[in-house]
Amino acid sequence: MVAMSLLRSAAAVAARLSPLKYGNVATNLLTRTIPQTEKVAVRWGHGKKMFVVNPTAYYDKRFLRLMQFYVLLTGIPVAIIITSVNIFIGEAELVETPEGYDPEYWEYYKHPITRWISRTFYDTPVKDYEKMMAAIHMEKEKRELRLTEQKVRHHMRERGLGPWYLRETNDKNLIDYSYKSTPDN
Amino acid sequence: MPSGFDKEAYPEPPRQTPAVEKKTALPNPALILTKLFYYSVDLPVTTFRETIESLRAKNRLVYYHEKFRRVPELIDCHEGDYVCYYEADMQWRRDFKVDQEIVKVIQERVRACHQREGPSYEQNCSKEMQQFEEVAKNFQSRYQDLGAYANARKCLMKQKERMIAAQAQNA
Repeated sequence: MVAMSLLRSAAAVAARLSPLKYGNVATNLLTRTIPQTEKVAVRWGHGKKMFVVNPTAYYDKRFLRLMQFYVLLTGIPVAIIITSVNIFIGEAELVETPEGYDPEYWEYYKHPITRWISRTFYDTPVKDYEKMMAAIHMEKEKRELRLTEQKVRHHMRERGLGPWYLRETNDKNLIDYSYKSTPDN
Repeated sequence: MPSGFDKEAYPEPPRQTPAVEKKTALPNPALILTKLFYYSVDLPVTTFRETIESLRAKNRLVYYHEKFRRVPELIDCHEGDYVCYYEADMQWRRDFKVDQEIVKVIQERVRACHQREGPSYEQNCSKEMQQFEEVAKNFQSRYQDLGAYANARKCLMKQKERMIAAQAQNA
């Protein structure tokens, strides 16, 4: 008890001598009470509101906003169309070709959108095949004629004048017979 | 696996579920879990599938497998008949695709066998492995090293080289 009162008086003396030192609790400096910040009940809640200085994000946000808008402008209709096609018109099922039935060229594809594209925009692959073969045939004829001409020129050069000699003339179809076409001309 | 598959190429392993003999009065946790799985996963998925199928019922589409007529091969074409060359080349390309798919099917069988047999796959899958090796060796001898711009003519030349090598070996 005596020790406690001694301690208390010692603490009061120390507090009066150096009031701002750590450990001295709520001392009186003249008339003011200095709250020691270690002892006050401070809780780190939302903290002090600070104004953080940032560079502008306006242009970045505007870019992202516009990109989102323009992507979704066609993206959402396309997604809706594709989803509804997949739900309401399903993919085709593989069946054996019935006897005597000649399927159309778009009926060889599975997905309905592929079938539509093939039906609307493309020709039948048979037509493309035939077109390619026609082009090859024309090139083949040209090649054969050129080879013949080359052979003729070789013979002419080699053997000189004779029945194999060819003098190039204009096309017979270009001759204009119109002034001779009627007997009264 | 889809519905139309070869039952002999992909045999189902024998079922190993033991016969149920209830020895205790406690509920069977396996039964509880199967019921839970059924009601939480199986039933919603099946009903979803069936609703979609009912929506698709009116617009049933079918597709067919295109069959191409056989045309003369590159060997049977006269020299300089470029149209015949083109048709033979197109036929060769179709056959090349078919051969690629054949190799893929055989690979799928080996994979399925491996999955089925588990740790003892080296012994039990010998038939599938041997079939795959044969098919792969044939494919390799015919089509390998032709490159990205392979055509019927290059394949024919490769065959010629093979025949020359075989003749040189025999002689």
